[in-house]
Amino acid sequence: MKTVHTDVLIIGTGFGAAAPALRLAEAGVKVVMVEKGPKVQTADFRQTSDPQYLLKYIKGTPGDHLSLTYAEALGGGSGFYEMVSLRAPSLVFDQTDAQGRRLWPEAIDRAALDPYYDIAERMLHVSQIPLAEVPKTGLVFAQLMKNLGYSVDRARYAVRGCQGSGFCVTGCVYGAKQSLFLNYLPQAVAAGAEIETDLEALSIVPLPGVHRGKARHLTDLPYRYQVLCQRRTGEREQLRFVARIVVLGGGTVGSATLLFRSRAALPLVSEHLGRNIAYNGSVKVVGLLPDSFPDADMFTGRSHPGMISYEFLESHGITVHGAKALPLMLVSAARMHLEGDRRDPAWWGTPHVELMGRMRRRMIVIAAFGLTPPGAALELSDAGDARVSLPLSSGLERYHGETQRLLESILVRNGCRLVRTDFLDKSLAPEEGVHFSTAHQVGSCRMADAPSAGVVNAHGEVFGCPGLYVSDGACIPSSLAVNTSLTILANAERIAAGILDRYRLQQGAAA
Amino acid sequence: MNAVPRRHALRQLGLIAAGLAAACTPMRVLTSAYPQVFDDDDGLVDRVLRAFVTAVIPDAPQDDPDLVRAHTDPAYPFAQYAGFFAADLSRRAARRFGGRAFERLDVGERTAVIAEGLAADATTRKLYNGAVVLAQIAFYAGIYDPTKGCPAIGFEGGNHWHPLTDITYPDPERFLSHTRTADGNYA
Repeated sequence: MKTVHTDVLIIGTGFGAAAPALRLAEAGVKVVMVEKGPKVQTADFRQTSDPQYLLKYIKGTPGDHLSLTYAEALGGGSGFYEMVSLRAPSLVFDQTDAQGRRLWPEAIDRAALDPYYDIAERMLHVSQIPLAEVPKTGLVFAQLMKNLGYSVDRARYAVRGCQGSGFCVTGCVYGAKQSLFLNYLPQAVAAGAEIETDLEALSIVPLPGVHRGKARHLTDLPYRYQVLCQRRTGEREQLRFVARIVVLGGGTVGSATLLFRSRAALPLVSEHLGRNIAYNGSVKVVGLLPDSFPDADMFTGRSHPGMISYEFLESHGITVHGAKALPLMLVSAARMHLEGDRRDPAWWGTPHVELMGRMRRRMIVIAAFGLTPPGAALELSDAGDARVSLPLSSGLERYHGETQRLLESILVRNGCRLVRTDFLDKSLAPEEGVHFSTAHQVGSCRMADAPSAGVVNAHGEVFGCPGLYVSDGACIPSSLAVNTSLTILANAERIAAGILDRYRLQQGAAA
Repeated sequence: MNAVPRRHALRQLGLIAAGLAAACTPMRVLTSAYPQVFDDDDGLVDRVLRAFVTAVIPDAPQDDPDLVRAHTDPAYPFAQYAGFFAADLSRRAARRFGGRAFERLDVGERTAVIAEGLAADATTRKLYNGAVVLAQIAFYAGIYDPTKGCPAIGFEGGNHWHPLTDITYPDPERFLSHTRTADGNYA
């Protein structure tokens, strides 16, 4: 088996991985990144509804009352996200658990992250959407809120030269969306980093020198971890990487899965591994606009239609957004029928055809992201497949019910007719009870001030495992009530800065 | 419950395969009556499936070459059960409507047959659920032709560029309410 020695091995190429890769490569140390998914670039993207295309990159983890979606490709989710890039509000960092303990480490709050948000925003060219580019759906959503006296703000996006194609989630064919393979990753490569795609990390084993050496220059430290990897193409070749530092940036599911698989060799990893998953409690409702409203448009303009309302953040712990969906997304997710339509069947046949005929211009979707507690857990089956479970507490049911009623009231008080939607489970039957679905999962290896509360310390280093870091969404301790990518990236920048400082590396030394 | 998370939809696509596979247990396949007529008539499955899809989506053009492609596409596990599904539709139609063929029933009669399948035992229900959802996905999303999309709902498919005047409205200020932030980020 081939063995590769490197100073730093980074697992993943998404938001949590890209910043450490760039900063450490810039500091002049040898960096290798391994990505489970395929190489992808702008030319590979298609504006399509072909499920086979999407399933090549988009993966899911099913579970009880919660399902998770993520991407496996170069750049992680950055190729397929809606490019919404918002800072987590200050109150996010003050969330506490049932015992009143702060979810985030004491040292981390909005002010501590702001310098790193600045860096992340510069790197991704984040800016507020110009008013003249807000899609029709976003403007109609704004009108809904305005009519009730509620505030709305233009959201912020990582994009340059948006064409408004409406296909953000299948990958931007214009190269306008600032996916990581347009900025961080090529800059890391230019600084000397190597990236291997279609290569899956299978396990991590500490080497005898793992506990030797304190804070001194990185290259003076012994090699501390061995990571076994396997190619996902061709002959399924296995490779062994030996590294002084290993950074896990494979996402909330990926990083926890790798640590679970490595647990026999890493017995000191906290019992909190796989637990404390937060998911931005997403609730969406659908309605048909009354005649007094102008048309919306599900199919044109950026996928996230430009507007967010913080009106209920302090009172209800939620932000409210306009939302859009391509036909593929809508019909594969849920049965829909117009409330009050007594025809049977209502979710297929003529009633459904009539409803779908109004989808593009008259259907409006509004969504809430909320500060739901980190109550979900990930576990591996005997076959090694990840599964997530969310105990459905009365508080969670109450949150879902109250949020749904609030969103519905926004529609109803504007004269909209509600569209009833039932999620489909994996057997294509409607889900029973409350079910959350998200791509904003965080926290399976959460940061904490002590191993009794989390898996990694405030610097992202795994308790009991010197030189082993988690820098992705897995270490974020709470729901954010806004899209998670910018916070994951900013926190990864912060962790990277901590590694540079800890090992006396000089920022930009390679240049 | 009323949520439609977009990401859930993406996940759902992945689960369709598993769901359909689970729906059609080998035992059921082995024990299902599969009339000889389906072996003797190459076009029968196609005709039955077309009659099925045009009942699920009455506006769907019956002569659309892609109309039932998803149900027989080897990329989706449903394809291996398409013949049995067609046979089940035919059997239910014959029993319910005095021996008449499913594809010769009117839309209302076909709807009744499909509704019967959707209300049958759990395994059959899963198969019918999968067939309905697959029909809706293929038709409304236009999964086989990004240049065509789905004219019935005004979906142009993937490759239509729109000028800014199509995407937004003039004088957008008129839609706006007051704001709570200076730049979109809440403090």
